[in-house]
Amino acid sequence: MSDVAQSEFNIRKYIREDLFPHFMCPGCGHGIALRALLNAVHNLGIDKNRLAIVSGIGCSGRVGAYIDANTFHTTHGRPLAFATGLKLARPDLEVIVITGDGDCLAIGGNHLIHACRRNLNITCLMLNNEVYGMTGGQVSPTTSTDRFTTTTQSGNYEPVFDACKLAEGAGAAFVGREMTLQTPALRDLIMEAIAHEGFSFVEVLSDCTEVFGRKNDMGDSMEMVLAQKSGFRSNSYGTAVDEPFKPRGMKTGVLHRSERLEYAAAYQQHHAEKSST
Amino acid sequence: MTERETLKADVPAESLVHQRPTNVLVVGVGGQGVIMISKVLASLSKELGHQVKQSEVHGMAKRGGAVFSHVRFGPAVFSPTIPEGEADILVALEWAEGLRWLPHLKQDSGTFIADTQQIVPPFACRNRSRGADLGYPRETVPDVMEKIANSFALDAVGIATEMGVAKAANTVLLGTLSAALDFPVEAWKSVISEFVPPKTIEANIRAFDAGRDWALSFDRQTHLKDWTGRTVRSPAEVVDSAAGITSTLEITEEWCKGCDICIKFCPERCLAMDARQIAILVDPDRCTGCRICEWLCPDLAITVHTQTNTDSA
Ligand SMILES: Cc1ncc(C[n+]2csc(CCOP(=O)(O)OP(=O)(O)O)c2C)c(N)n1
Ligand code: SF4
Ligand code: SF4
Ligand code: SF4
Ligand SMILES: [Mg+2]
Repeated sequence: MSDVAQSEFNIRKYIREDLFPHFMCPGCGHGIALRALLNAVHNLGIDKNRLAIVSGIGCSGRVGAYIDANTFHTTHGRPLAFATGLKLARPDLEVIVITGDGDCLAIGGNHLIHACRRNLNITCLMLNNEVYGMTGGQVSPTTSTDRFTTTTQSGNYEPVFDACKLAEGAGAAFVGREMTLQTPALRDLIMEAIAHEGFSFVEVLSDCTEVFGRKNDMGDSMEMVLAQKSGFRSNSYGTAVDEPFKPRGMKTGVLHRSERLEYAAAYQQHHAEKSST
Repeated sequence: MTERETLKADVPAESLVHQRPTNVLVVGVGGQGVIMISKVLASLSKELGHQVKQSEVHGMAKRGGAVFSHVRFGPAVFSPTIPEGEADILVALEWAEGLRWLPHLKQDSGTFIADTQQIVPPFACRNRSRGADLGYPRETVPDVMEKIANSFALDAVGIATEMGVAKAANTVLLGTLSAALDFPVEAWKSVISEFVPPKTIEANIRAFDAGRDWALSFDRQTHLKDWTGRTVRSPAEVVDSAAGITSTLEITEEWCKGCDICIKFCPERCLAMDARQIAILVDPDRCTGCRICEWLCPDLAITVHTQTNTDSA
């Protein structure tokens, strides 16, 4: 993907300027993810009228509302279900789902695994901030061990979901992970995810400065962003096994890619076969 | 002072001039074990009768900041630091840090040993000054190996992790380093055993052997041929200042929430917070248009505009 950026990227062309400044807290990583996504959309030359952003509920879900495209703010945990219906009805649209760790893995975990299993050609960005940001900082399926949240007052002891492994195991055609600190790399990963045929899952390692960072004494915004880099290792080199249930030691980059039959294609193939017999 | 006297007593005077010390520079980021590697090397060379000087800097160590350590040993060592271009061996525990320190390596005869692990420091790995040589940190493993005859790039973290001792990546590198120096293997192992926690001695010795075996069986051509890694990335998008590009910074004040990210991350320190808690550009001349502030502003409040001066060829 080198013949990109036909024109200089002007983010104002892709946002609803009248809604700015956005609602997010100072330093919230979701805003950085928004930039990376819009830059990817620009580089791929996707027409706004052909772009559909479907989001769930949460601070992550609110991110979608700021994009000047066809946006669909759905119910908690269900953006993938809405997106599935949308894509089947309008296969000409580029459907991108923005969801959170709570939205996607807790209440919406069921929809995630079936979206992966069906392998419909949509892209899912899960903004992982390890917490239920919007509702005041409750524990989520990705909260790291020992972290304090309003519902784990003495530290989290639950095992942690590795969302990428879950998506791969459930059949997603493309799986990747990147942190907001590495914004250009995140943009490139999102570009690859959108371009890949089939269900693409991208875990964005974001930050909740306000209700997670403060409670865990993780420093100010800058320190939280910087903290992302320690403990992560790029997938570019080597094939070392990573350690399950240890999010802060996870690999980043493209983690899985397969050419499995896409759902709409499978659907058409199936009906062509049925009607010809 | 006894240093000179002992030297005089032990070594014939003229050989002191000819036998320059061996210089080993160990670099990485906090928490990786830079200091452990240099301490093992220093105490080993001392045990084997060399004079040793070691000095280190570990500023932001706890937060994953840059750490480096100089080890010099030989019959006589005076200065504790290695001048640029004088390191016989550069051991890098992190790829971008390794690239950053390359100018310290002896030009033709220096040996470069690097873990390909990337903990890309957002502001430490690129020379952003105007007109600077571009693409330097984008160098891939094959690029570097092409340039430096004695270069060994290995996935030490990967090797250690596969052995189930992820934390011993630094000991893997010690093994690789041991292949580049002629100290007896057993002496290495006994010093390592003194330095690591007793429970981990066995694991560390295995890691050491793995690193050493890797180096001894290393074949440059196959390594280059089989290399599949991607290029090094950094949050800073390069602005080609060599081609005459000027950049201007636009800050949308109404959108800034004063989170401080741009100010703290700007490598040139040209931004500041004003009395209203809004980011302002205080030193436009120093701004290189690197876009770090733009990339990392969560409020989309910063835009870097670049202009190509087409007439400047
Ligand atoms: C059916 C339903 N249950 C619960 C809620 C309350 N609720 C709103 S957002 C949220 C969690 C959001 O967490 P996450 O998806 O991680 O998003 P974040 O705010 O962290 O970006 C919950 C539980 C709701 N809106 N609807
Ligand atoms: S509560 Fe957390 S996730 Fe939500 S906007 Fe604030 S910082 Fe961001
Ligand atoms: S102000 Fe922004 S573009 Fe300029 S040097 Fe600083 S970070 Fe880079
Ligand atoms: S990063 Fe953006 S919001 Fe934060 S201080 Fe800088 S300009 Fe303001
Ligand atoms: Mg969340």
